[in-house]
Amino acid sequence: MTRALRPVAVPLLLLAGLEAFARTVGRNSDAVAPPSAALLALARAFGDGSLWQATGFTLGAAALGLGLGSAIGASLGLLLGLSRRAAATSFLSIEVLRPIPSVALIPLAMLVFGFGAAMEVSVVAFATVWPMLILMQAAVRQVEPCLLEVSAALQLSPWDRAVKIIVPAVLPRLFVALRLGVAVALVVSVTVEIAANPNGMGYALMIAQQSLDPALMLAWLFWIGAVGYAINEAALFAQRAMARRMGEVAE
Amino acid sequence: MSTVATLTAERAAGTPAREDALVFDRTSIRFGACEVLSPTSLSVARGEFVCIIGPSGCGKTTLLRAAAGFIVPSGGALTRRGLAVTGPSRDVAFVFQDYGRALLPWRTVRGNVSLALEAAHVPEAERPARIERVLGTVGLLSHADKFPAQLSGGMQQRVQIARCLAQEPELLMMDEPFGALDAMTRQDLQDELARLVRERGLTVLFVTHDLEEAIYLGDRVIALRANPGPQRASLAKVIDVEIPRPRNQLSTREHPQFLHLRRELYGFLGHGHD
Amino acid sequence: MRRLDPRALVASVLLLLGFVALWWVVSHAGWLSRAFMPTPESAFAALVQGMISGPLAGYTVATIGRMVVGWLLASLLGIALGTLIGNSPAARTWLQSTLELLRPLPASALVPVAIAVFGLSSSMVLFVVAFGAMWPVLLATIHGLASVPRRLEEVARALQLGRLAFVWKIGLPNAMPDILAGMRLSMTVSLIVSIVGEMIASQQGLGQTILLAARTFQSSELFAGIVLLGAIGFASNSLLAIAEARLLRWQRA
Repeated sequence: MTRALRPVAVPLLLLAGLEAFARTVGRNSDAVAPPSAALLALARAFGDGSLWQATGFTLGAAALGLGLGSAIGASLGLLLGLSRRAAATSFLSIEVLRPIPSVALIPLAMLVFGFGAAMEVSVVAFATVWPMLILMQAAVRQVEPCLLEVSAALQLSPWDRAVKIIVPAVLPRLFVALRLGVAVALVVSVTVEIAANPNGMGYALMIAQQSLDPALMLAWLFWIGAVGYAINEAALFAQRAMARRMGEVAE
Repeated sequence: MSTVATLTAERAAGTPAREDALVFDRTSIRFGACEVLSPTSLSVARGEFVCIIGPSGCGKTTLLRAAAGFIVPSGGALTRRGLAVTGPSRDVAFVFQDYGRALLPWRTVRGNVSLALEAAHVPEAERPARIERVLGTVGLLSHADKFPAQLSGGMQQRVQIARCLAQEPELLMMDEPFGALDAMTRQDLQDELARLVRERGLTVLFVTHDLEEAIYLGDRVIALRANPGPQRASLAKVIDVEIPRPRNQLSTREHPQFLHLRRELYGFLGHGHD
Repeated sequence: MRRLDPRALVASVLLLLGFVALWWVVSHAGWLSRAFMPTPESAFAALVQGMISGPLAGYTVATIGRMVVGWLLASLLGIALGTLIGNSPAARTWLQSTLELLRPLPASALVPVAIAVFGLSSSMVLFVVAFGAMWPVLLATIHGLASVPRRLEEVARALQLGRLAFVWKIGLPNAMPDILAGMRLSMTVSLIVSIVGEMIASQQGLGQTILLAARTFQSSELFAGIVLLGAIGFASNSLLAIAEARLLRWQRA
């Protein structure tokens, strides 16, 4: 019994410590609140729908941004992986654009789209294009040379070769890249909301801090972490399930 | 080291060594319900080169690791120069079969050998000279500043041996050290090892599955037998190799005694019981 | 680094110039509002002027300084804590799951909390940068120390290497590839959090500059700032990559 409790022992201890601290020394602080109060605030947010609304916005924007970024990144990655010449030609352009931190584009997105979903989606898309592009390109390059020889022997058209041999071969790696993309998308979404966008979980967190409501702030901090953890685990699960379906040994 | 001098002198004088380097007194080793080594008694004299052969899974590596102090015997006694073996010691150097994994990849050849000296707290000023000496012995001086990844398998194994020699051990334990190498490299290293051991008067416990290697190198060959059932491994045969030294890859292997011993021991490899 | 074929290099340069040309055409034709698509010349002019006679150089230094100091702190903390935790199987059992839980938390989510504690100040930003950027290095160090090959542990036993000596001579060097990768990731996080921190806490730096530029519809200044931030990202990553290659040259056969 105690063995199973070990992993949660430290967090519980820390929470208990925070509870004690917040109720005594930090009683009138704007920064700390007892976890019990935070839990209450969280429950309230559950009840009045604000939690769902904000969470839905963030997850929605992240998903759309990821979808857009992945689609562009994967297609480009496929192309660059298949054609050495395209890869060599685009090398410099990619190396110039890639290092731009996605957060640096927040003001530009703000200028173009104003506040709202579009701005966030565009920044997330930019952030997720690069990992997807690079991983796809590498995956295509690493397709078993044997398979390519088989396609040459069967005299498959370039389209058939791409669709019937290469895409299925890189699908597992694609899902790994997607899983990583999910993590990036979430982090970037929340960051955009914290920095500028008056929507979503990040914004709710900022508002809680600005209205000097440490309990609500702590609640949102916890919730953001929890959502992030849950989504990442779900993505990992999906990736592994897909890998098994495609006949790969457990990663 | 005085021990080496005394030993060489003793051997030259033909007098028997005072204490045995290693004594197994009805030593048995058990992992859980399985008795991996049944009670075995064996003495290894100082300066002796003992080879242990046997089929796979017959416990020869276990015997070696127990002698080195990695495993504590479950029964019986195991002593080194009269003292009970409680764990690894700097007097005992261990050469692993997977040389690639036994070297520090981020250190050069020199650095790898230095590790032994650092562990023994040898003063920094003395280290370069000792490293040079030991690298010269194994013929790696010109590769001293290379990384293991840049060396061939044979060279990597020589680095490991060099590191072991830098410990200035009395006992050298070798676990199929040449098993992963090609035949030519193996033969070269066999001769080098024989020379090194002779020069330093080392006591060697050498595990191998190569019957001819065992006879070629050893003063004595110990054959272990794998048994079915709970008592996995036991001593089957101990033979003295009375082939004169120094030995030679061509002539020794055609020596009548060599051929006789080979035939005698053949049955114990992979064919289990008599 | 891939071997650069001169023809490929030329093609690459041409494509990049092609994009710039496209930019020139689009901006001059006015297909997109000048408010957010400046002409290449005006963006370039804003960059040059801002650096030479304007405050951009100072802002750039401020952001770089924040990023580097935060990264150094993060790396030191990460390696130190990581060594303590990674070295002790007991600590790992107790703490591993907690650390895994905290990993997906965006570093920028700590900004509001830090503001509540420290107020809007430079040290607040530095704190968040250091704390946020610590995680990749911390986790990498723990992972690296926990994965010392068994054979090397046995070699250490055979040589009778002391515990401290083991960590210093075998544990940490073995973890080095992981730690260096973590430090590179850490630098990326550091830059991002620095920018966000500057934006929110109105601290002098490129983050604040581009936000203000956007708010005042000064698209040239905005683009200049973005270019500089991209350059910082590029330079810092390249320098670290070079350092990493040098430190890990023993990996290549």
